[in-house]
Amino acid sequence: MKRLMTRIGVIGLFVCCLTAAIAAAGQEPLRVGMELAYPPFEMTDKSGSPSGISVDLAHDLGKALGRPVKIENMAFDGLIPALKTGKIDLIISSMTATEERARSIDFSEPYLQTGLCLLLKKDSPAATIGDLDRPGRTVAVKKGTTGHLYAAKNLKKARLLVLDKESAAVLEVVQGKADAFIYDQMSVYQNWQRNRATTRAILAPFQKESWAIGIRKGNEQLRRQINDFIRSYRSSGGFDRLGDRYMKEMKQEFKRLGYPFFL
Amino acid sequence: MTGIFSLLTQRRGEPGPLAALARLISWLLVFLAVGGVFTFAFGQLQYGWNWGAIADYRQKLFNGWLTTIAISCVALFTSLVVGLAAALARRCPFLPVRYTGTLYVELIRGTPLLVQILIFFYVVADAFGIDNRYLVGVITLSLFAGAYISEIIRAGIESVGESQLESARSIGLTRGQIYRFVIFPQVARQLIPPLAGQFASIIKDSSLLSIIAVSEFTLNAQEVNAYTYSTLESYIPLAVGYLLLTLPISLASRVLERKYRYAH
Repeated sequence: MKRLMTRIGVIGLFVCCLTAAIAAAGQEPLRVGMELAYPPFEMTDKSGSPSGISVDLAHDLGKALGRPVKIENMAFDGLIPALKTGKIDLIISSMTATEERARSIDFSEPYLQTGLCLLLKKDSPAATIGDLDRPGRTVAVKKGTTGHLYAAKNLKKARLLVLDKESAAVLEVVQGKADAFIYDQMSVYQNWQRNRATTRAILAPFQKESWAIGIRKGNEQLRRQINDFIRSYRSSGGFDRLGDRYMKEMKQEFKRLGYPFFL
Repeated sequence: MTGIFSLLTQRRGEPGPLAALARLISWLLVFLAVGGVFTFAFGQLQYGWNWGAIADYRQKLFNGWLTTIAISCVALFTSLVVGLAAALARRCPFLPVRYTGTLYVELIRGTPLLVQILIFFYVVADAFGIDNRYLVGVITLSLFAGAYISEIIRAGIESVGESQLESARSIGLTRGQIYRFVIFPQVARQLIPPLAGQFASIIKDSSLLSIIAVSEFTLNAQEVNAYTYSTLESYIPLAVGYLLLTLPISLASRVLERKYRYAH
C-alpha cells in the first residue's frame, strides 16, 4: 500500500512537472533579431542596452502576445539565415518586404511605408535616378540593402560602389568620389542635414517600399497574431506615439517640405 | 602498433614502403576524422541548399578572386620591400631614421587595419588627391604587413651573435658586406616560416579592403549573398578560394626551407 502511494506520488509529481513545463513553454521568450545600427529604429542607449522604435515595437508586440521579449543583435546580412535556422523567431530590423526575401521567409503586413531616394553631391546636375545611369557616373550603395539590389538590377551604365557602412557611403558623396548614394528617405534626410555644405537631397522616392516583420515560413498562427497586433496598434495611435518619441523634429520638417511622413 | 605511425621509429630505421603506407593511412585518418565532424555538422543543419542561384554569379565570384590575387601579389612584394627597409631603418645608427622606423612599426602594429584603411583612404589619400581606391588599398595593406615583416626580419638579424658581427668588422667588412655575407645566409632559412604565415595573412587581410568598395573576393561573395540570400552557398566557395591561394604559399615555404637547409 505504501509503495502504491509512493508510486502515485511520483506520477503526480511527474504530471506536475509536465504541466509546469507546458506552461513555461507558453512563456518562452520571443527572440527578435535586429541590427542595432540604424538609429532611431535600432540602436543602443547610453548604457548599451537596445533601444529605438523597433525595440519598443518588439516589446509592445511581446506584451500583446503575453510573451517576454529577447532582443538578439546581429548583422543585417545574418538575420534571414538566423531566422531560417531557428536562432530567432522574428525579424524587426527596418527590413523591406521584397519578393526575393519573401521566397525564403514570410512577412507580416507592412507597418511602415517609405521609399528609396537620393543623396547627391552638391554640384551634381542629376534630377532623377535616370540621370545617374550614364557612363562615368558613380553611385554608392550600402551592401545588402534594397538600394543595392535596385542599383544592381537597374543601373547598368553607372559604376557601382558597394560599401559596408552607411557612413562610408555618405563620405564618398561628401568627398565627391560618388555622385549619389541611394538609400531610404529617413537616412538620406539625416545625412543631408549633417552635410548641407557638400550634399543635397531628392527626398521624393523613386521606388516605394514597405517595412514588415519577418517570420519563419509556415508559422501561420504567429503571423495572424502579429497582423492583428499591427492593425490595432495603428488604430490606437501606437506608431504616432513612437514617431513623436523618437523623430519629432524630422516629422515636423517632412511636414514643412510637403512629404508625407513615413511612420 | 602505434610505433609504425610514429615519426621517431621511421627516422631510426630505413624509410621503407611501410613508412609511405603509414603516412598515407595517417593522412586518410585525419581527413576522415575532420570530414566526419563537418559531415555531421552539415547533416544537422536545417537549410534549403540552393547552389543553382550561385552558379549564375560564378563569373562575378571569379573576377573577385582574380582581383584578390592581383592585390595580394603586389602587396606581397611591396610589403617585403617596406618591411626590409623598416628593419634596416630600425638598426640605422642615424637616430631620426631609426626613430621613424620605430614609430612606423608601433603605430601600425598598435592600430586595427580597418581604421588604417578608412583613414588612409578618406583622409590621407583624399588630402593628396589620390582617388584610386585600388592603389590606396594596396599601399595600406603593404604598410600594414610591412610593419610585421620588419619585426620578423629584425628578429632574424638580431639572432646573429654580436661576436660574429665584431669578427666581420675586424676583418674589414663594410655594413653592406656584413648583411650580404654574414647575416643573410644565416637568417634566410629561419625567416621563411614566419614570412609564409605573414603572406597568407596578407591574402586574407585583403578582404578588409571591401570597406572602401574595392571589389575583391570577399565583397563579391557578400554581394552574391545579398542578391541570392544563399549565405552558405556564397561563403563556402570563398573559403575554398582563399585556401587555393594560401596552400601554395605553405608548400612553397616548405620547398624553400628544404632548399636552404644546407646553406650554412
